[in-house]
Amino acid sequence: MLKIIIPTIMLMPLTWLSKKNMIWINTTTYSLLISLISLSLLNQPSNNSLNFSLMFFSDPLSAPLLVLTTWLLPLMLMASQHHLSKEPLTRKKLYITMLTMLQTFLIMTFTATELISFYILFEATLVPTLIIITRWGNQTERLNAGLYFLFYTLMGSLPLLVALISIQNLTGSLNFLLIQYWNQALPDSWSNIFLWLACMMAFMVKMPLYGLHLWLPKAHVEAPIAGSMVLAAILLKLGGYGMLRITTMLNPQTSFMAYPFLMLSLWGMIMTSSICLRQTDLKSLIAYSSVSHMALVIVAVLIQTPWSYMGATALMIAHGLTSSMLFCLANSNYERTHSRTMILARGLQTLLPLMAAWWLLASLTNLALPPSINLIGELFVVMSSFSWSNITIILMGANITITALYSLYMLITTQRGKYTHHINSIKPSFTRENALMALHMTPLLLLSLNPKIILGFTY
Amino acid sequence: MNPLIFTTILMTVLLGTMIVMMSSHWLMIWIGFEMNLLAIIPILMKKYNPRTMEASTKYFLTQATASMLLMMAIIINLMHSGQWTITKVFNPTASIIMTSALAMKLGLTPFHFWVPEVTQGISLTSGLILLTWQKLAPMSILYQISPSINLNILLTMAVLSILVGGWGGLNQTQLRKIMAYSSIAHMGWMTAVLAYNPTLTMLNMLIYIMMTLTMFMLFIHSSSTTTLSLSHTWNKTPLTTTLILITLLSMGGLPPLSGFMPKWMIIQELTKNNSIILPTLMAIMALLNLYFYMRLTYSTSLTMFPSTNNMKMKWQFETKRITFLPPLIVMSSLLLPLTPMLSILD
Repeated sequence: MLKIIIPTIMLMPLTWLSKKNMIWINTTTYSLLISLISLSLLNQPSNNSLNFSLMFFSDPLSAPLLVLTTWLLPLMLMASQHHLSKEPLTRKKLYITMLTMLQTFLIMTFTATELISFYILFEATLVPTLIIITRWGNQTERLNAGLYFLFYTLMGSLPLLVALISIQNLTGSLNFLLIQYWNQALPDSWSNIFLWLACMMAFMVKMPLYGLHLWLPKAHVEAPIAGSMVLAAILLKLGGYGMLRITTMLNPQTSFMAYPFLMLSLWGMIMTSSICLRQTDLKSLIAYSSVSHMALVIVAVLIQTPWSYMGATALMIAHGLTSSMLFCLANSNYERTHSRTMILARGLQTLLPLMAAWWLLASLTNLALPPSINLIGELFVVMSSFSWSNITIILMGANITITALYSLYMLITTQRGKYTHHINSIKPSFTRENALMALHMTPLLLLSLNPKIILGFTY
Repeated sequence: MNPLIFTTILMTVLLGTMIVMMSSHWLMIWIGFEMNLLAIIPILMKKYNPRTMEASTKYFLTQATASMLLMMAIIINLMHSGQWTITKVFNPTASIIMTSALAMKLGLTPFHFWVPEVTQGISLTSGLILLTWQKLAPMSILYQISPSINLNILLTMAVLSILVGGWGGLNQTQLRKIMAYSSIAHMGWMTAVLAYNPTLTMLNMLIYIMMTLTMFMLFIHSSSTTTLSLSHTWNKTPLTTTLILITLLSMGGLPPLSGFMPKWMIIQELTKNNSIILPTLMAIMALLNLYFYMRLTYSTSLTMFPSTNNMKMKWQFETKRITFLPPLIVMSSLLLPLTPMLSILD
């Protein structure tokens, strides 16, 4: 695992020592090379984990998330080149350093063995993200967004720290590899109910659960493009990954403790999808769509069946790539018109047809068109929730319909129809932007040929 | 003032604290406290104006009251145990009175009212000495009598201090008052774990002193005493803004900076002793502290102008030489991976 972590840490001296015309080239190239190394982790022997050391391991759940994380760094760097072009050199280097620090913490979080180490790195990802959102965001609301982001996550995760330490006292070790073998049933008592809540609330806030999701539209909208990408693609998945790891220790209370959260998620996914239909702000629409997809993941994780875990993992990877691509597309609009309002940039298909092709592909994968992996994830979740309770099919079906509705709404509003009269002086698409979209779409399409690598550890 | 006299007075302060920390006779400890108090008054009053006079008078009155209470507790202890050696305190009344006296010296709730006013009235360097060096002596006595302190009083004072330190700092814009409320909250954390594992009190004290030293030195370097003037540091030394950001986040207790280490260890120690609600409450109340640190970072480092502009600049005095600042900054932010080394503190 050090073969991924040490090169990522060394990206920081690389940025500070590069010449002015080479910083983007150097960092993008080397981060692409690092993502190639992480691909070797996808070769997992069945049903077990690859244990590299006492501190790092990788199993079929964390390997795809790790590959997604390392794949996303070069994409973030490519996406940030335009809005940073006018900044002084030191600030560019600071920005890239923040992204690299975030990347290092994320890699270590996904591969951590010891749960306290996972917690420390989970919290550590907050600091660079906060700095990226607050320092390089574009509107005054970014201050409030940073505060909401930091305090929502910290309020949820401080009880998690106490819960982890008390579990360490009771069982003697928090090493994840040990826990999965000597797991015992949690006896039923009030304090164990609070233990369950303390363990899960941190991840619920991070996912986010419907009632606690207020930080997400603020943070996603106010962040610069790399911040939005990493938030949508990876940081939300930290919540899902944490939940998948920690529910192994929390049986059998999940069977009755999960009901309120299941209700909130099932209702919340319909509510947030419906809000998407009435959004005027493009980034806000994509942010609420993230909440809706993550609500599906929460439902899948709380049901705890093999198929639902497969669906959750596939949905996390698919949503990561799709959401990140949608934010890149929204950003390409923002860089041209300096506004996030959807109707100000209509009819782009006549002006930028290749970008319209990417918009089409992204919207189609967002609404889970077969045979993309988005569909595989959603279908597994819908099937397993139907087997958990027949009535959920109504809500799930309604959600799929409304998702299709708002994805097509977004596509038609931005691409089709007559263009506005003030839009005739936008720059054509850069090769960098087209490459960015292609690099998002290609893994998404190729994975539909071999989805078993993203189906997680219950395959 | 005359450098020779200033050195003598400073040495007396040091000597007072050393006598407190190294004596085993209760009377010598009391003498050390008095020596410390009398010698620090001229240091607090380095600039002679009514504001400093008021602050020094308040400090003197509270500390003298605390010393008298301490003397009463020592005499009661002498009555019940018949000897002057410092060991555990033999009588519950004496223990309660001694704890209150030491809490008054430290600035714990409900005796915290003097800390913001005194810290605000004196210069930054004197404030530095007040909030770091002066805490060493009472804390060392608390460490030595820790087996016999009444747990209820100690924990109540600790939790209330964290609460007051968090809430009181929310409405402040003067930097010295912010540091004072931060000191109250950190003292609360230190005394919470005193009954369970006093070594962690010392660890927290060490890291707190490092972080407070760093913060004060950064304030002295940019000669700023209000949030408004701190927000002008990007004009003078832009690097200082980054350092302020890192140190403030470390004081707030965010991982992966070293300010998280004492909080983590304290929560671990409290949880091992089966109190779970208490550390959860303490950790959540520490978020109040984080809020006003974040407000400081927002005005200082995270909202900078993209280019030069018409904003008021600070007058460029001769740069003050701050010795020791880089190692302090490194230690106050990067020590978390060294946590397993804590076994040497035993």
